[in-house]
This record gives sequence, C-alpha cells and structure tokens, in this order.
Amino acid sequence: LGGDVLLPAPQSISILSTNMKHFLTWSPVIIQGATVRYSVEFQGEYEREYAGGSWIPTSECSRTTATLCNVTQDISASVAYRLRVRAELGASRSPWATTEGLFTRAMTSLTPPLLRVLADGHHLLVELADMGPSFQFRVLYWRKGQESRVQQKVLREVSSVVHLDTMEAGAEYCVKAQTHVQAINRSSSFSPTQCVRARGDASL
Amino acid sequence: LSMTEIRAGFTAIKANIQSRDPIRTLSILSHPHSLHKVKSADRCCITHQLFTFYVDKVFKHCRTEDSFVNRKISSIANSFLSARRKLGQCREQNNCMCGEESTEKFKQILANYEGLNVTSAAMKSLGELDILLDWMEKAR
Amino acid sequence: SGELYCSLPNPRNVHFESINMKNVLHWSAPEGTGDGVFYKVKYAVYGVGKWIRKPECRNINRTWCDLSSETSDYEEQYYASVKAFLNGTCSDWMETTRFNPLTDTKIDPPMVSVSSTDRSISIILTAPEKWKSSPEEESISLLQVYPGLQYNVSVLNKKTKKRWFFSISNNTLIVPWLEPGTAYCVSAQIHVTTPILDSGFSKEHCITTLKDK
Repeated sequence: LGGDVLLPAPQSISILSTNMKHFLTWSPVIIQGATVRYSVEFQGEYEREYAGGSWIPTSECSRTTATLCNVTQDISASVAYRLRVRAELGASRSPWATTEGLFTRAMTSLTPPLLRVLADGHHLLVELADMGPSFQFRVLYWRKGQESRVQQKVLREVSSVVHLDTMEAGAEYCVKAQTHVQAINRSSSFSPTQCVRARGDASL
Repeated sequence: LSMTEIRAGFTAIKANIQSRDPIRTLSILSHPHSLHKVKSADRCCITHQLFTFYVDKVFKHCRTEDSFVNRKISSIANSFLSARRKLGQCREQNNCMCGEESTEKFKQILANYEGLNVTSAAMKSLGELDILLDWMEKAR
Repeated sequence: SGELYCSLPNPRNVHFESINMKNVLHWSAPEGTGDGVFYKVKYAVYGVGKWIRKPECRNINRTWCDLSSETSDYEEQYYASVKAFLNGTCSDWMETTRFNPLTDTKIDPPMVSVSSTDRSISIILTAPEKWKSSPEEESISLLQVYPGLQYNVSVLNKKTKKRWFFSISNNTLIVPWLEPGTAYCVSAQIHVTTPILDSGFSKEHCITTLKDK
C-alpha cells in the first residue's frame, strides 16, 4: 500500500502560539488501514528574499504521525515565516499545504506569569514560574495605601525565591507582575495582585 | 539590538563551521585591520554595512549537509535581517555616515572576501561571526 | 625544517584550558607511548600568516604549556599546535580548534566578604582579575572585560532553611531586618549575559547576626 495512493494535502492547517511556543496543527489525512505520516518545512524572510524561496525541514517533524508540530526552535527570528506540511505514505507524497498568511513570533499571545508572593519576617519575596530564556519579569510592588509610590524590579532567570525588598513592620504590601519578551518587545497583561503583611506591629 | 539569539545560534555551530575553514593565516574581518580600531562615530555605519555583507554575500553560500547546522544558519540569517532593519532605522535617524577610514576598512574586508573562492570565503566569514559579535557587544 | 620521517602516533585532545584568561594548552600523550616522549609547541594568531614557536615549551616531557602571555590580547583569536618526538621519530603537528579567550574562558566565582550587625548583613563582592604575567602588571578586573557582568547572590537562613536570591549589578548588598543571633550563609555567582558566561557559585560564607542588645 502507498506506492500508488493519491494522497490529498492536509487540510485546516493553522498556527497556535502562546508564550513564544509555536505549534503548527492540521487535520489528519485518513487512509483506511494505513498509517499516514507528515513532514513539515519552514521558510523565513531570508529564504524567500535571498535564497530563492527555499524551504527548510523543521527540527522535530519529519515523517511524524502526529498532526501537531512544535516549530518553536525553527521560528527563531523576528521576521515573517511561512510553514507547509504534506502527507506521506510509503513512496507517495501529497501536495504541500502552506499556511495562508505569514507568521511572525510577535503574534504570540502572552499570558500573565504565575506568581507567588511571600512575606518572611520583614522581607518581601516572590516566586515566579520559569517560562524560558526569552522571558523577563517586570515586578511592581507597593505599600498598600501608597499606590502612587510603586516600585519596580526586572528579573531575568527566576529559578527560586527572589528577594524584592524589606517591608516596614506590620505594613501590608502588594505585588503584581507581567512578562516581557525583549525579542518581540511586547509584554503580557499583569497577574492578579497579591498582598502580604510584614511581621511586627504597624503602630511602632 | 539584542545579539543574544544570534550569539546562541552561532555558539551551537561554531566548532562545526570553524572546522570547515582550514586557512589559519587569513581572516576576513580581523586582519590586517581590526574592527576594534573603528572610530565610535563610524560604528553605526560599518555595522550596517557588515550586516548587509553577511545577508547579501555570506549566508547563501553556507549550505551544509547537516540539517541542524542549516537550521541554525537560517536562524542567524533571519535574525540578521531583522537586526539590519533596526540598524537601517538607526542609520536614517542618526544620519550615520561612514568616515574615510572605515570605508577603507570595509573595502579591505571585501577584498579579503574576494581573495578566496566563494564557498571558502563564506564559510570563513560565518566562522568569524564571534569576531563581529564580540566587537559589537564591547562597543555597546 | 629538516624534520625526521614522522611515523609516531599523534598527541591527542590538544586543547586550551582557560580560567580568568589564564590560557594553558593541554594534550594527552600519543597512544601507546610511555615515558621518553618529548614535545614542541607553536601557536598562531588567527589571520596572521605565521606560526610562532614557544621556546619554554621546546623538548618538554610534560603535557601542558602555559600560553597565557602569548594569548593575552582577547581581541584576537588563536590556534596552538603540538608535535611529539620519541627515539628519533616524530608525530604530525596536532592543532587546537580556534580559541577565543573572550568566550572560551571560564570565570571563577566572585570573592565574597560578609559582615554583620545585630539585624543586618552586608556583602561585598569582588570579581576575579584577568590573568596577568607578573604581580607588577596592572590588574584588570573581569568587570572591565565583561561590562554586562552581574552577580546572583544566595542568602540562606540556617535556622529556617529558607534561601533567598538577589540579582545585583553593583558589588555591594545590604540585607537589613534580619533575625538577631541567627546564622546566615552567603554565596555568589557571576553572570555575564553576553557572551553567555556563568561562574559557579562561590563556597558559602556563614556569619551570625549579633544577639539583640
């Protein structure tokens, strides 16, 4: 089976991109009793404009049976990319199905960071979930009631509990954070605000 | 202008690319003139010229038999395109002009390049990317 | 150069080992050779047309050669090469890969000094110095070589076992409002963003805050 099968091109191809993780998806090509495989290629602006419109096999999806391909490693510059996928069965190849428009990683959707705020005595601390090397975290914090005196810290790699500042005894402090991706110069919306209280008596 | 991604891409293939350049005694970028001697006023202009040099002349002649290396070269080439776009904006806004000395330096770079066959020259230039990045980051 | 017919196996794994830009060439003896092997070393500045012999590493029987002086200009890149001799025969010249002192060196952790009061500790960090050929030579801090250099500092409360991290660009850090009479252990790491270079963490320096007055 496969040598003489006329394979249709995959349909409904689309790119899903969240927090700088980019995926190509498509509908499966169904051939009864056969395992259809797929190969994905990408083309950046350089390939289109300077390399004769050449295409490059993706790093993760050659002859895969999945209908989802992680192209994060391949979409690795701030230019417009095109992607294409075809079905393969034995020696048969379907036509290429190419993404409609162009995709740039600046189109990724950015979600607020997962943030945990801690008070340890007089110390205000945060824990942020790591989101990969592209991400920085802009952390805003203020003493409750003094919303006009917001302070900021930009954190890069966050692998543990990071010290923000010291707090006045008994005072309540609030914190919120957003991600920032320097490569596309965009930021997420802010995380919900979290407040904690410093140990000690506020009246002192 | 973040060079981090270009630097990471180059570091991943540096050993592979430099091993394809057997000529120890010639350099495209660093001899006889060192980039480190470029006047600061000329930096913006010569950087733009060098990015154009890489985009127009170098990357297209660097295809290898290794798909991992090819993907990294594609990533670097596309990053150069977007960086050159930003440099172009900077050049226009600041009306960067290349001084006589830097023009001479860039001509020497082109002469070094033309002095080799195109594949050797391209592979050597690609292998010298860290010379360009070191200079740019130091200059910053 | 009138060298003999070279049938000796080659030196192996010829490479630079560099810490704070102290750049030492290392290699392993040719396969199957015991004692009695001697070596010659040469080096070249990449892009410059000649190899230069290292006299202090001529006819040596050790398997390393300090080329720090010869490779101290970190705006240049280098190659080095080793040839082995035994009982009248010799090996081929065996080269390193291209060596870039700026990106291929390893950085030592910073020096950490800690002092305390009853409720605070103050930490002073000192980045290591670039290798220099003699004590009289002017010292160059790696801070000057890598302007983007930052410090990651870890402070561990020995009583609560809680560890906090600080990321700072300057070299001093004061942590106020601590517990009196409590041991805190500090260690620090150097982080260079570009080129990407990280030192290991320094060993921990522990200090106890003074008891409450």
